[in-house]
Amino acid sequence: MMSEKLEKLRPRIQSLDAIPTVPAIVQPLTAMLRLPADEIDLEHVIELVSFDKTIAAQCLRMANSPLFGRRQTDTVRSAVIALGLKRVQAILMGCCLNMVMPAEKWVFDPVTFWRHSVGCALVSRRMAQAIGHPDPEKAYLAGLLHDLGMLVNSLVCGEDFRKCLQAAAEEHVALHRVEQQHLGFTHCDSGKILADQWRIPSEVTEVVEFHHRVAPTAGPLVPLVYLSDLLCRVRDLGYGYYEVMGIDLAGDAAWMVLVQHYPQLANMDLARFTMDLDGAIKEIAALVEAVFTSRK
Amino acid sequence: MSIDLEQQKNAGALITEDLSDPNYLRIRDLIYQISGIYQSEDKLYLLASRCARRMAAVKAKTPGEYLEHLTIRANRDAELRLLLNEITIGETYMFRSPPQLQALKSVVLPQIIEAKAKLGFKRLRLWSAGCSTGEEPYTLAMFLLEESEGLLKGWTCEILATDLNDNSLAAAKAGVYGEYALRSTTQQLRRKYFQPVDEKRMRAGDQLKSLIRFDRVNLSDDSKMVFLKGLDIIFCCNVLIYFDLSSKRKVVQHFNANLLPGGYLFLGHAESLYQVDDTFRLVHFPGTIGYWKPPVGYSGGKP
Repeated sequence: MMSEKLEKLRPRIQSLDAIPTVPAIVQPLTAMLRLPADEIDLEHVIELVSFDKTIAAQCLRMANSPLFGRRQTDTVRSAVIALGLKRVQAILMGCCLNMVMPAEKWVFDPVTFWRHSVGCALVSRRMAQAIGHPDPEKAYLAGLLHDLGMLVNSLVCGEDFRKCLQAAAEEHVALHRVEQQHLGFTHCDSGKILADQWRIPSEVTEVVEFHHRVAPTAGPLVPLVYLSDLLCRVRDLGYGYYEVMGIDLAGDAAWMVLVQHYPQLANMDLARFTMDLDGAIKEIAALVEAVFTSRK
Repeated sequence: MSIDLEQQKNAGALITEDLSDPNYLRIRDLIYQISGIYQSEDKLYLLASRCARRMAAVKAKTPGEYLEHLTIRANRDAELRLLLNEITIGETYMFRSPPQLQALKSVVLPQIIEAKAKLGFKRLRLWSAGCSTGEEPYTLAMFLLEESEGLLKGWTCEILATDLNDNSLAAAKAGVYGEYALRSTTQQLRRKYFQPVDEKRMRAGDQLKSLIRFDRVNLSDDSKMVFLKGLDIIFCCNVLIYFDLSSKRKVVQHFNANLLPGGYLFLGHAESLYQVDDTFRLVHFPGTIGYWKPPVGYSGGKP
């Protein structure tokens, strides 16, 4: 699957964590993400969150959003306790990613990118809850990171990636198709290299790599994030341009894959799910505005 | 019959009810069960403002007390109907739902055109079921005319516009509109398709009217419904909310039979067919949803 061009870029992607903007907390954070919940040390999480003033403020803003239950918290400690360790880690990971990108390297409008990523994370979590998935916070993390490769593409082949985005917007088609055509690889392929390098949990890495081509044998998070991603793209939380789409989500092959894992999905009121998402868009936009666009 | 929740936004802002009262969510869910109309969290203030009027009328002091009027009291069915009337009051206007038209243009019409052209047909039939005072069929007529040199070149189009209400239908046929109905219609389209009546009003021109056939149809009248055939797209926006579940099911079954295979049904933006029908497929378009009648043999995959 990997093209020659991607192989050439591989060393650059693998050395991305050597660039100075990568916060020092990425490594300990991803190490912690791999631990089972009962082995995570609360004090260690609080320490990580407090490590960076911007990140701490962003976590507080998240904790106080109605999307996360609107708790009134004003210290890092109470925010961490209110949100739960797993959720805080996912939030932290998002903040770290945001800091990885120097302002001038963004090919996407960062607001558009984060609306899509946070939207997809929230939809993934909600869907996981609705179908009885045991770890909705992991679904959140997978939704948040699924387009990791777009950041990679912006960093290592920004000009080519910019052309892809422009062509996709002009033709109103899905971005990964244009990437495949123009670059010979997609953000799924490049994202996978960085996810491996950062040793992100394997189920999340699987989502990064396969969220645009769901195999019948895929783990449940892959079809789940695939469907969430589609839903966001038809609900004004897409890549910032009009994508021509008319999709029968419940007739999609990925839906069938997910139903095999979670039969409850078959009873889901998808129309209402969509209307709820419409109702949450404003808050997602406000959250992204407050959290991801406020730079140091 | 039409609904305008947005229009009441300013009125809603004045409402001081405590929206965190969980009884509003219960009322919301009750309305969804009964009518299929769903108000998401950010629209609860609208629901609260509509409830407030009914609460004053029945002298209920809290949402909880009002919920009893809707669920336990002897006159609960009548009260629910009155609340639904409150919720669905409001005028409509042309070009009300741009995402619907965009979906028509980019997905639905190209799909139908391709399928029908293969069979040698070049005729398109749309139905505005519950057309009220005509804003919807005239919008569709403008849309089709604007595409007559593009997508629909060489095609014959017809719009059937029906309503139960004689007064609405008479107004629709007259086709005279004020600024509110035309608020989203561009000056260019107004000049092209309307003639001024006086300083404030405009009348739909013959080009629009010749495309539309107005008729009185009761959607519950089985004997009339079975004769409507060969439709490609049905618009039935904020009409089914007036039906109980069993009659709603019957109407939707009729719609399914009225449509050609591969045809689409569009509902109002907060309406869903969940638990009403499982023969249509729910299709997501950017900013809107539609219901698709799959051709025989469809088993998932792309519409």
